[in-house]
Amino acid sequence: MSENSSKSSPALILFAWLLVGLPLGWGVYNTLLSSMKLFQTPAAAAIRPASPTK
Amino acid sequence: MPLLSFLDREKSVAQPGFSRWLVPPAALAIHLSIGQAYAFSVFKIPLTQLLGVGKPLPQDWKQTQIAWIFSLAIVILGLSAATFGKWLEAAGPRKAMFASAVCFAAGFYISCLGVLSHQLWLLYLGYGVVGGTGLGLGYISPVSTLIKWFPDRPGLATGMAIMGFGGGAMIGSPLAIKLMAYFRTPTDLGVGKTFLVMGTLYFVFMMFGVFTVRVPREGWKPEGWTPPANQSAMITTRNVEVNAAFATPQFWLLWVVLCTNVTAGIGIIEQASPMIQELFKGRIGPIAAGGFVGLLSLFNMGGRFFWSSVSDYIGRKPTYFIFFALGALLYFFLPQTGANHLNNVKLFVAIAAVLLSMYGGGFATIPAYLRDMFGTHHVSAIHGRLLTAWSTAGVLGPVLVNYMREYQLQHGADKASAYQGVLHVMAGLLVAGFIANLLVRPVTEKHWLAERNV
Repeated sequence: MSENSSKSSPALILFAWLLVGLPLGWGVYNTLLSSMKLFQTPAAAAIRPASPTK
Repeated sequence: MPLLSFLDREKSVAQPGFSRWLVPPAALAIHLSIGQAYAFSVFKIPLTQLLGVGKPLPQDWKQTQIAWIFSLAIVILGLSAATFGKWLEAAGPRKAMFASAVCFAAGFYISCLGVLSHQLWLLYLGYGVVGGTGLGLGYISPVSTLIKWFPDRPGLATGMAIMGFGGGAMIGSPLAIKLMAYFRTPTDLGVGKTFLVMGTLYFVFMMFGVFTVRVPREGWKPEGWTPPANQSAMITTRNVEVNAAFATPQFWLLWVVLCTNVTAGIGIIEQASPMIQELFKGRIGPIAAGGFVGLLSLFNMGGRFFWSSVSDYIGRKPTYFIFFALGALLYFFLPQTGANHLNNVKLFVAIAAVLLSMYGGGFATIPAYLRDMFGTHHVSAIHGRLLTAWSTAGVLGPVLVNYMREYQLQHGADKASAYQGVLHVMAGLLVAGFIANLLVRPVTEKHWLAERNV
């Protein structure tokens, strides 16, 4: 039997993916917030701060 | 050294029952960390105001001096990947990832010393040379391991890791901004402490990759998977040694493929913010342009995963044909969307997003293309040498864009029209890439490695 019939704990696999997925998700969320400024009207965008994190 | 013997390749061979789905997160831990390099620009302004604490003094470093730190890191990335690739194949991914983590963290620590003592050469040495070595080692370290774990989906597997490099900047940028804000005092901008904390955080995060990564046992293959009987002639079942691969026309054609694709992508990345503002003067301001840059980075990252996965189904060569044919058309058409012609912001943004997705896709699909051409045995080492194309493009792209634009402006072109020539040259570069891709043929038998040496 091939070993990827998976004896590694599913919880461990989930934990591993969360460990890398959460920071990546945080980064994507911040970038999405920043990119939303492109779709705002010039007047609305002008009063928003420049930094995506603030 | 017995203490570090756990890093040896033989100690990282997977036991029966190990799930291959633990390997991509290990690779992502490395790539998400080293991808911070693309967020180095957040330190640009603070580093020019260290002595003046918020406003530059004459003794403060200049922006042009700071720019060299990132350039040096990218050049060293290519050189270290090319130099250490063969060592990596023998030492295994765990040792290479560990070395990468040590170098990357040490780069931050040395840079911290440079900030505290206001010695610029320490930043060149730290982030540029030592950190750059960590970038190169980290970039190629998981490639061949992923390809061996996912022989059924090599594009998807390497695309996931290389997507992490694109995503790393999205984490590194807000993290650095928040840390600098946290450590800032009336007498200190907090850059040194931020370097110290980031070096430590990234080292710990990369250790997760070091301890999690495994190489498959000899002869392992995914359950229920058998190599296709009628495999495409463009996918070899043999292996080519790194030095032999270096002497093949296929290597150099793929070098041109990567170099042209990256150079063209840099043409947009380098000028994204001013380009959209000048093409749509009065409609797009600096804040909206910042949003445009953010959107491009999302497509750059997403394209890495999307296109490399697509290449598993349609093949590597057709995937690059799409990049070059569609890319050349879109680059040619892009200036027509500006205020002087169609005046369509949405169309401009959509085209730029597709172009950036193909730029990212070019990076992510190349390891699988190399595997198809040269086999899995030395694929990380060959990939390492091919990354010199990236270093070359990193210099060539901005130089080409800036000098061409400057030339056109000096000869009377207005700011918006000056982009037309630049983007048309980028389209021409992609045509050259198309021809290089067209010429790629399977590697001839004389370059194959004897089976007993694999």
